[in-house]
Amino acid sequence: MLECRDLRKSFGELAAVDGVSFHIAAGETYGLLGPNGAGKTTSISMAVGLMQRDGGQVLVDGEPLDPGTTRLKAKIGLVPQDLALYPDLTARENLRFFGRLYDMPRARLSRRVDEVLEIIGLSDRANDRADTFSGGMKRRLNIGIGLLHAPRLLVLDEPTVGVDPQSRNAILESIEQLGSEGLAVLYTTHYMEEAERLCDRIGIIDRGQIKAEGTRRELAQILSQHDRVRLSATGPLHEGAEALRRIAGVQQVDVTDGAIDVLVEQAGNSLMAILSALEQSGVSITGVEIDEPNLEAVFLHLTGRSLRD
Amino acid sequence: MKALAIAGSNLRRFARERANVFFVLILPMLLILVLGSVFGRGFEPRVGLVAPETGDLTQALVDELEAHEGFALHRHSDRETVVRAVERGELEAGLILPPDYDAAIRAGDAVEIDFIARPGQASLSLRRTIDTLLAEQMMLPRIAAFAAAEGAAPFDQALARAATVTADTDGVHVESTVAGDSGISRRNWGQFDLGAQQQLMLFMFLTSLAGSAALVQTRRLGIARRMFATPTTVRTILLGEGLGRFGVALVQGVYIMLGTMVVFGVRWGDPLGAILIVLTFGLVGSGAAMLMGALFSNDQQAAPVGVFLGLGAAALGGCMLPLYVMELFAPAVWTAAHVMPHAWALEAFEVLAIHDGGVGDVLPFLGILLGYAAGFYVLAIWRLRAVLTR
Repeated sequence: MLECRDLRKSFGELAAVDGVSFHIAAGETYGLLGPNGAGKTTSISMAVGLMQRDGGQVLVDGEPLDPGTTRLKAKIGLVPQDLALYPDLTARENLRFFGRLYDMPRARLSRRVDEVLEIIGLSDRANDRADTFSGGMKRRLNIGIGLLHAPRLLVLDEPTVGVDPQSRNAILESIEQLGSEGLAVLYTTHYMEEAERLCDRIGIIDRGQIKAEGTRRELAQILSQHDRVRLSATGPLHEGAEALRRIAGVQQVDVTDGAIDVLVEQAGNSLMAILSALEQSGVSITGVEIDEPNLEAVFLHLTGRSLRD
Repeated sequence: MKALAIAGSNLRRFARERANVFFVLILPMLLILVLGSVFGRGFEPRVGLVAPETGDLTQALVDELEAHEGFALHRHSDRETVVRAVERGELEAGLILPPDYDAAIRAGDAVEIDFIARPGQASLSLRRTIDTLLAEQMMLPRIAAFAAAEGAAPFDQALARAATVTADTDGVHVESTVAGDSGISRRNWGQFDLGAQQQLMLFMFLTSLAGSAALVQTRRLGIARRMFATPTTVRTILLGEGLGRFGVALVQGVYIMLGTMVVFGVRWGDPLGAILIVLTFGLVGSGAAMLMGALFSNDQQAAPVGVFLGLGAAALGGCMLPLYVMELFAPAVWTAAHVMPHAWALEAFEVLAIHDGGVGDVLPFLGILLGYAAGFYVLAIWRLRAVLTR
């Protein structure tokens, strides 16, 4: 659906985007994960034909997209980070205005406006001015405008910034739903949890470059990291530890005060065997914690800094 | 079609702004009413007169001065009051007759009359007018004084005889034709005409500039960029925004024009010519608004700066002090006024409303106004295009 090849953009001496490449298939949700200033917004601005590139190529459905190419833009729905809507127009007026910019026929536009208001949960506030909305409602309207013309690619630039947890969850659920309906989604965020929850594949971007790309598990394997299972227990802990070392997939076992730490390749595959071995050794288990490798650790490993830096 | 959608959203937002009910609808009419009521009678120079004596000759001179249409005569009791009033601008000139005016003339002595004025072209013009009046007034007394001095008859008798003789004599009649505009007494405005023209220009420009904040907001909120992310060209976006600003200026202009015609009976002259002036000045105002909208990045700053610039441009351009008064009292300011498009538009209306001109007569003014509009638009488009696509 979308292919970006070697995108480059500099502002003076600063290389904001320095050779970014990625692709998104139909029905796939692709996340660009990186801290503020990493080059996410500049990358997607070039990807949707909003900004002139210094170099590189953008293909939408195999056709090159440039800022002057208006036809291909109809396939893309952009949800910018800013609340790009008229505060003194109503939700319906905002939707109708942008619908007209997409050349939507009048009858279809009216029908679609109602549908989108339903999707974003603003049907009962359709005729209220946007400046009377809460932050979460404005965000939802911002997303609704991007969805209005039923695009094939939805590009969302940090759509949950400054949103309360309840609205944030509603937004994420909507995006999950859209992804499951076959829409290609490009999602930028600096929230690790959002990327983990929504994205089929993730590109970790920092200082204008994609440092790594893949599924969450593929990225975790960059660290050669395994799942860590921490078992709070009583009884003959050292005997239990010996029994665990014989289980396939177990890499390391440590006994600490009142607990056994087990490093395994995949906790899900080995957990039942671990519990059963400890039971046979006479160890009573009082608690289990599983730490899976997360993107925060991967990001830290790749860039030397935290996502929140 | 898309450009109309963009323009329509601008007009809808303009109509929704509650403050506009006062600033766009009420304030202009209020100002026209006040200005027309206070200054609508036109400009008439004021001349202060101190005449201590009440003799026949003094009274004859006073009657002559009062009857003159070129200025308004105000009587004062002493010289100091007149000097102070001239200094303060309450009078354009002062005339002080000596206490022995009648006696001196009767005795054939020289009479000194003080003329007090501030320096300037207008003072000279007034001085000439009053010199002429005095010369005419003194003609008979001088004849009578000469006859009395020669022993032909007593002064009063000689004066009466001279009056009779000169009345029966055809004498020399000088017919004057004024070429061009001379200033003081040439105006023939209706009471509200000039004020309406000035406020039309002031408010069309001011409302446009104040409305530039909406364009800045459209940019600042990322709405303009979002438009560009749709299948809409930069050209269409700029056309739509320009049409929106033009619509705002036109709403203001048409409202003032029609409102003052109906409420105050203002004469705008040839309808087609007047419409063309409003259209071209609307382009000027909207072009200036587009330029401001392109240059500012903060709408909170743009609105007050727009009002300040709008008022400043209007003041310099002749919307507060009439151009003919500038021409009369400060020719340099009158020249500077023509840096502003307002001055050209006001002169175009003068051609229509005062000199009964038609479209052909205002074409040069329209051309100049279009030049201003083109300049503003070219700069604005250049800047906005860079902002939208960088």
